[in-house]
Formats: sequence, structure tokens, C-alpha cells
Amino acid sequence: MIRFDNVTKSYKGLAPALDDISLEIQKGEFVFLVGSSGSGKTTFLKLLLREAVPDSGSIRVAGRDIGDLSHWRVPYLRRNLGCVFQDFRLLPNKTVTENVAFALEVIGRPKSVIKTQVCQVLDLVGLGQKGERMPHELSGGEQQRVAVARAFVNRPLVLLADEPTGNLDPSTSQGIMKLLDRINRTGTTVVMATHDVGIVDTMRRRVIELDRGRLVRDQARGVYGYGDMTSSTRGVPVVAMAGNGDLGHDAAGDPVTSRVAAVRARRGQR
Amino acid sequence: MAVSFEYVAKETATNLWRNRMMALAAILTVAVSLSLVGTALLLRQAVNRQIGQWSNNVSLQVFMNPDATSQQIANVRSMIEQTPQITHVTYLDHAQSYAQAKQVLAGELTAIEALSPATVPTVFRCQLKNPSEATTVQATFNSGVPGVYQAISPSRSIHVMQQVTNVLQLILLVIAIVLLISSLVLILNAIRMAIFARRREVGVMKLVGATNWFIRVPFMLEGLVQGLLGAVVAVVIVLMSNFGVSYLIRHYKVSVLGSAVLPAHDLVVTELLVVLIGIVVGVAGSSVAVRRFLDV
Repeated sequence: MIRFDNVTKSYKGLAPALDDISLEIQKGEFVFLVGSSGSGKTTFLKLLLREAVPDSGSIRVAGRDIGDLSHWRVPYLRRNLGCVFQDFRLLPNKTVTENVAFALEVIGRPKSVIKTQVCQVLDLVGLGQKGERMPHELSGGEQQRVAVARAFVNRPLVLLADEPTGNLDPSTSQGIMKLLDRINRTGTTVVMATHDVGIVDTMRRRVIELDRGRLVRDQARGVYGYGDMTSSTRGVPVVAMAGNGDLGHDAAGDPVTSRVAAVRARRGQR
Repeated sequence: MAVSFEYVAKETATNLWRNRMMALAAILTVAVSLSLVGTALLLRQAVNRQIGQWSNNVSLQVFMNPDATSQQIANVRSMIEQTPQITHVTYLDHAQSYAQAKQVLAGELTAIEALSPATVPTVFRCQLKNPSEATTVQATFNSGVPGVYQAISPSRSIHVMQQVTNVLQLILLVIAIVLLISSLVLILNAIRMAIFARRREVGVMKLVGATNWFIRVPFMLEGLVQGLLGAVVAVVIVLMSNFGVSYLIRHYKVSVLGSAVLPAHDLVVTELLVVLIGIVVGVAGSSVAVRRFLDV
């Protein structure tokens, strides 16, 4: 579904935001993209949306090389990619229904189709009763559900989520994750960039970790790890994992410990 | 790609209304500048017609007495032919001269009724090698040649007037062009503000895969509407001032200006040109704005 081949992207004069990334994500996978701020997660998503173009390497989405895409074809690529952000990005002067319908209106879907699809997707996200509310009348969790509904209403092949739980409390985040999981079960590939340790550790899905633009870990059924080495997260996953027993697919010892050692070695610590 | 008419119309109307003060400024500037353009164009046509009428496009006219004998006419003709400054001459007999008089006096019915083919003077129309010699040549025919009623040449004042209107027209056009440029900038700015006001919507549209033209068209149409509305106001202003001037000329029977009343055909062509310029300015302004500020 998504394939990166030796992708490098740097912004003017700075160290590369993505450095020689190669990976493949299959159809229907659920992938967490983790790493500290500035590690390249957002750039990764931007490249997928073709809001940015890689300096070198190629990116394929659904079998198409999106580097070859002519300018006017980009919108058609984006129709296959749903998008959810930390700040929801709802239109404040439109109701919930209008916000979701807007996504279909502007790609020229007929009214009858819009009506049925919007109803369906609002039921899916659990907001069937709140269609006439304005965004500011909803809680943060409900607003994010609207955003997910808008991203999913056109049944994209891939759902991209950039820290969708970043503004939400843990229990609300859980609800959003259940929703994303449900969407994933419909066969939609989900790529989610996140900082949320708890979520990554409970979901146990594939984890791709970036560190300063490099791919440092790609692990099926992984955990968050503690690559950013801040006091708030240090040690927590290890404790969480101690009683778990499932150490991912890296059979050669404890993947978290070995990875931390690798990161330290690279940074020249100890 | 189906850009539905309903959607585009709704978006454009909403934008214009939300941005109404900027839109009003743009529309009024377009209106003022296009009024000047229209006025300058009509003035030019009116002055050209009037001067053409006054001078009959000849440099010297020798009017014969209505009762001049054919002998006298033949004498004057040979005299004209022997004058080296005159390059070409045509003679209008009673019937032709009467037709000409009716044209000159168009709009003054009482004066035309007082004339008849028999009482109208016949006339030699002469072209001079050099129009500045008109006064000397004119004098030789006015010095009591038998049968000659009067020889006249377009006075210097006509040439002066022509020059004055040329300058006036130039000034009008320069002002109009400056105003057109400023209205283009105003439209550009109005569209830029509309884009800024709708940046959230535009962001979402890009995200969900609306095509570039789908995003652009409402903004471009907004500029077009502003240019068009300004042009329509200008058309009304120009029409009203034209009718006002025509009315004054007819009402006060200023027969010397009879030809300054323009025929409908000239008016329509000028007004169409005004509308066209309005549309071009609107589309140009919004295209630049869309290209510079709507990064799709």
C-alpha cells in the first residue's frame, strides 16, 4: 500500500528531516509512527500527502509512484488518503453534518450520495444524534470524532493521523483509538504519528520509530520505547513490559534495551 | 470534474458579502475609472464628428449666390482651377447642396423648413495643398467676384479646439489608466482578503482532494463580478452623461453642435468596450491574487 525507497528529505540548510528511509506498509496494517519532536514524523506524513516532495528516493502509494504525479493529479491522490490532526481542523461556522459533508461536496459527489454516506459515517463514529451541533458545542473528543468522520467519509485507502490524541485526556483518547481500530478492521490502512506511550503500549501494533530523520526501529507488535530519554517516560515501558513477556518479533534479546543501547552509542553516550 | 454551478454561485455570493467593504471600494474605483475611459472615448468620437461636419473635410468653401448665372459659375470654376494652391474641387448643385444643408442642420427642424433647393446657395468645395494658406485664398474670392456669395474656411479656432480636446482626452485617458491600475490592485487585495478569510476552508479542501480549479474558480469569479459590477455602474454613468449632453444640445438648439450627438451604434460599441475592460481588469486582478496567495 505504502512503500518508501531510500527517501531523503531536508529543509533548507538544516540536517535532513528524513534520511534514507526505506519501508513498506501493507494494506490493512495499523502502524504507529513514534519518535521525539523533530524526528521527522510530520515530514513523513507530508511526503505521503505530497505536501512536500522528497529530495531523493521514491514513494509509492497504492502502487503509484507519487513523485511522478503531475500537479493536477495530486488532489486525486489525496482523495485516497484520509487525514486527522491534533487540532481537529473543523470549520467553526458549519454544523457537524455540514463539516463532514463538505469533504464530499468539494470533490463533486452528488447530493444523494453525500446524504447517505454522511449519515453512515456519523453513526460509525457515534455522533448520529449530534449532527446539527456546532463544533464549539462539542467536547474535544467529540470534535476529533467529527474529524475522523470527515477523513473517513470518502472511504480512503489509508487514514493518516498526526497525533490525533495529542489534545485529549487518556480516557477520551481510548475512545478515539477504539474508533481508529474499528476503521482499521474495515481494511483501511492506518498510519498514526503519536507521542502517547500508553496507547502504543496497549495496542501492540507495528511501531516505526524515527530519530532525527533516521529509521531506528521497525517492530511488529511493538511498544513505544523511551528514545527521547525524558524523565517522564524513562523506565516506564520497561516496567510495563516486564510482566508482559511479549517482546515483539526481535527474537535476539530484549528489543527495547538493545535499541536504547544503540541510540546511546550513536549519540556518543557511554 | 464537476464544479456545480450552484456551489460556485453560492460561494461567490458569500465571499462578496463577507468582504463587502473591500468589494465596494474595488467596484467604485472600477466604475470611476471606466466612466473616464468611456467619457474620453465618446468625447473623441463626438469632437471628430463635429469637426468633420464643420470643416466638411475641406479647407475652403466658395458659396455662390442662389441666383448666380451659369456664366458666373463657369467663371468662378475656371478661376478656382487657375489658383495654384487649390489641388481639388467639387461642385455641389442646388439639390446636393440642399442635402448637405439638411445634414448640417440636423436637429433644427425650423431652419430646415425655411430652406428649399432653390434658395440654397450652390458651393465649390476646394482642397488646399496647405490648409494654412486658406485665409489668403479665401480673401481673393471674397474681393467682389461676381456671383460669389461668400468664401469661408474653417477658422483657426477649430484647429485650436481640436488641439485642446486632444490634450483633454489625453489627460482623461492617463487618469483613467492610473485608476484602472489602482482598481486592479484593489481587486487583487479584495481577493487576497477573501482567500485569507477562507484559509480554513481552503486548507480542508486541499486536504480532502478538491481540485485546484474547484478551489480557485469562486475567487476568480468574485474578481470578475467586481470588475463587471464596476463596469455596469460606469456604463450607466456614461449613458446618463451622454443623454444629458444630447438633451442640452437639442433643448437649447445648439445647432452648431448637432453632430456631437452620437448615433446609438457608436454608443453601444463604446459601452461594450467599457464592459470588456471591466471584466479584463477583474479577471486579471483575481488571477494574480489566486496565483500569488492561493498556494494549491
